Amino acid sequence: MKKSSKFIFQKYDTENLINRRAALVTIAKAGVFSVLVGRLAYLQIAENSNYKKLSDKNRITHRFLEPERGIIFDLQGRPMAINKQKYEIIIIKEETRDVEKSLVNLKSLLPHANIDIEKILNEVNSRKKFIPVGIIDDLTWEDFSKINVNIHKLEGIYPQIGFKRYYTQGESHSHLIGYVSPISKNEEESNPLSKLSTAKAGKIGVEKAKDAILRGKLGNKNIEVNANGREIRELDRVNSVQGNYIQLTIDSELQKFCYERLKGLSGSVSVINVKNGEFYALASSPSYDPNIFSKSISNETWENLLSDKYKPLINKSISNQYPPGSTIKPFVALAALESGVPHKETFFCDGKHLIEDTSLESGYKTFHCWKKEGHGNVDMTKAIKVSCDVYFYQIARRIGINKIAEVCKRYGLGEKVFKSLYEEKSGVVPNKQWKLENLGSRWMVGETLSAGIGQGYFLTTAAQLSLALAQLINNGTRLSPKLIYDIETSNVYNERIIADPKYLKIIKNALDEATNAPGGTSYRSRINGKYKMAGKTGTSQVRAISIKEREEGLIKNKDLPWEKRDHGLFIGYGPTTDPKYAVSVIVEHGGSGSGSAAPIASDIFKYLFEKKLHLKRNEIFNV
Amino acid sequence: MFNQYNFYSSAFAKLQSINYPLLGLITTLFFVGLAALYSISNGDFNSWPLKHSQRFILGLMIFFLVIFFDLRLIFGYAYLIFFLSIISLAIIPFFGIESNGATRWINIAGISLQPSEFVKYTLILALAKYFHSINNDSGFIKTLIIPLIITIVPVFLVITQPDLGTALIILIGGISLFWISGLNYKYFIVGVFSILCSLPVLWQYLKDYQKDRVLTFFNPERDPLGNGYHIMQSKIALGSGGIFGKGYMEGTQSHLNFLPEMQTDFIFTMLGEEFGFIGTLLLLLIYAALIMISIRLALKSRSLFSKYLSLGVCNVFFIYVFVNIGMVTGLLPVVGVPLPFISYGGSSMLAVMFGFGLLMNCYINRNIIIEKTNY
Repeated sequence: MKKSSKFIFQKYDTENLINRRAALVTIAKAGVFSVLVGRLAYLQIAENSNYKKLSDKNRITHRFLEPERGIIFDLQGRPMAINKQKYEIIIIKEETRDVEKSLVNLKSLLPHANIDIEKILNEVNSRKKFIPVGIIDDLTWEDFSKINVNIHKLEGIYPQIGFKRYYTQGESHSHLIGYVSPISKNEEESNPLSKLSTAKAGKIGVEKAKDAILRGKLGNKNIEVNANGREIRELDRVNSVQGNYIQLTIDSELQKFCYERLKGLSGSVSVINVKNGEFYALASSPSYDPNIFSKSISNETWENLLSDKYKPLINKSISNQYPPGSTIKPFVALAALESGVPHKETFFCDGKHLIEDTSLESGYKTFHCWKKEGHGNVDMTKAIKVSCDVYFYQIARRIGINKIAEVCKRYGLGEKVFKSLYEEKSGVVPNKQWKLENLGSRWMVGETLSAGIGQGYFLTTAAQLSLALAQLINNGTRLSPKLIYDIETSNVYNERIIADPKYLKIIKNALDEATNAPGGTSYRSRINGKYKMAGKTGTSQVRAISIKEREEGLIKNKDLPWEKRDHGLFIGYGPTTDPKYAVSVIVEHGGSGSGSAAPIASDIFKYLFEKKLHLKRNEIFNV
Repeated sequence: MFNQYNFYSSAFAKLQSINYPLLGLITTLFFVGLAALYSISNGDFNSWPLKHSQRFILGLMIFFLVIFFDLRLIFGYAYLIFFLSIISLAIIPFFGIESNGATRWINIAGISLQPSEFVKYTLILALAKYFHSINNDSGFIKTLIIPLIITIVPVFLVITQPDLGTALIILIGGISLFWISGLNYKYFIVGVFSILCSLPVLWQYLKDYQKDRVLTFFNPERDPLGNGYHIMQSKIALGSGGIFGKGYMEGTQSHLNFLPEMQTDFIFTMLGEEFGFIGTLLLLLIYAALIMISIRLALKSRSLFSKYLSLGVCNVFFIYVFVNIGMVTGLLPVVGVPLPFISYGGSSMLAVMFGFGLLMNCYINRNIIIEKTNY
């Protein structure tokens, strides 16, 4: 014990020992202090510029400023798509320590709000961390001020004032103008506005077609913020630039009238100025309220719109294709005239036309006229007037499909009318080459006969039909179809006679008879007055009628289920003396052109004539 | 019973023999703290600065109270005082006040106190008395094991609160007295070695947030918005201060609330941001001067008890300053230790004044010889 104690304590010279040990401790302390001084010198002198940058980065935050979207006006200068102020909340990941916690706090603050935390978390994590992500799009003033008061609990969450698109014309214009909604992933790269998650882009219609013009330019500002991200003061700012204004050729009153006239039906109307190619109306029914897209649309609403059998989301005037049916006959007639068929030449119609077909037991195939008992002797004028199918079977066979296709294409069928609208379909004008390329088989004679009455592979849109008719009755002036007054495109028309006026006169006359002479297919829809309309009906089959069915007697359209009824079409122009407008009407599964489509066209012409709409551009200047 | 005349004359004599440079430096540090808190509260004197002043005045009262006690009386009651402070620590789990996941405070007469702050000094008091009393030839158990147990008990109690920082300061403060009292250096080598070996075991006992802090210390960028946030923002504040600082009340980091807990543990950062390297260097010099004077005063005492006590107090104070500044400059993990005299915190202020009261008492009574007792 004694031996070890010597080693445990060294108190043989206590005074000295303590002094020595205290001195050692003091030296150690001095050393530690030197380390601290060195560390401070390193941080505050050597690394000063680095930390200064970091400190500025902390305190200065960059915010993008949403530009106001350009306004869309109609022909008369009425605003159709405008912007309204709205209150919204966004979250920025970079400025949040715990996104979920902030969202949970927000949710407890606004229990009624529809906040899908998981969805927002996904959204936040899939984007760059400095990009603000919208949480609630359209907030009431009460909720907005509630957020402002409790902002300290909501790290990274910011209430702000934004813009929402408002469509003054509602559902009558929705297909045409389209709508805006948040920028999707695949648009991110091409759209500079994607740096702002709250920014929207046009999704369809003119909003999409002219998005680059309408969207404007982002502004930005540097602000000093505190640790909660709250704005303390603004340091500098570059204001956003509002998007350009756009004026359409559409007359919103006429468009509304057309839409209202289609109410309850599924179909479309296209109205065009035959002299300059301006479209005054492009209506589609049924429709939807475009303003629902300005708020975050519920899944249920969206699903309902998608699954509706009347397809309210589709613009039927340009995106739905239909066999033109008998409305093709004026063009086939023109092809016949150009091929040297005299218009006075008569063909006999006994209600059917037979062609050889060795694949069938009987050795021939029967093509029926819509009129079972036949039309007797018909010339071209009568054939158009009464819409005799047998006449057109025979001339079609004589001139061949390629000639028919050539004329139809020359008038704009089988080709997009508006190059800028993404959702537009081009239709089909079939010929031998087309069939070989697309179906890989040779053209059959019977198919020429079907094409002669606008059936078979033929597909057109309402806009195409109205344009084709317009060019037919304006004595063959090629029109540049116009929907948007662009700053770039001039008003110069590429004038070119595309047909012999002599022939056009014959066809015009026949169309006049079809409407205004007793026995004409649209005689019941004629307009008795100073101004008259003229036009051609069309009924296009959506199903093949079997021989058996024909023998047992045709079922009347109204006894068929809706989806199986024929489409009703009508193309018309007016006034007959000095044509100004061409109209096409398509009523999906409307039964017949004369019964469903022609009365609508008639009402539209009456409206055009009686209202004496001053359809002239009232220019909007870009401010 | 006190002789009234004697009491006053001795009181006067005591006041006369106080080392005023030391008290002056303490007061200077208090004013630095006051200025810092005034800046942090954005010029509102009635919030933190007022309370800080009240606490300092209360601290001064404790300081003088301790001075007026006879050193022999303090020596006599040293174990009792230590025992009472241990009791106050021990009852915390039952009567304590919880805050931020740790239970460190007890409520005495409406004032919440942090006993662990006082234990730092009462442990020194007890150890000083113990080492004073044992003989050169005392055995292994007496000279090492018993003082080790005395040290470990409060350390263990504080760890369980949990308060790793304070526990470490208590431990190192206590161990430093082992060194001063002359324990063979071989034991320190063995001790350091065994602590290193037991680290993995201790790691298991740490709470998750403590582990996080330690891990984050080694790599602050590991989690820049979580635990690394304190260290990063603190370094940014200090570093962006530069040589001359951003100016009083102009610190963007502190005034825009990027600095967490800046009125308490991170107050040095705010001073560094606003007064720059010049400011932090000056502050370090004041602390250094305070410690140098303390050592000088300590070594003037004739009794071992006084020397141990004074040097122990001085060591604890030094560790305090070092750990705090080391922590905010990113040299040490964030363990939650205030900066004495400057940080806003009642217990810390009162405890450190208590400690310096003891130190000053030793100095005033430097010529008193204290007999060994049978502990």
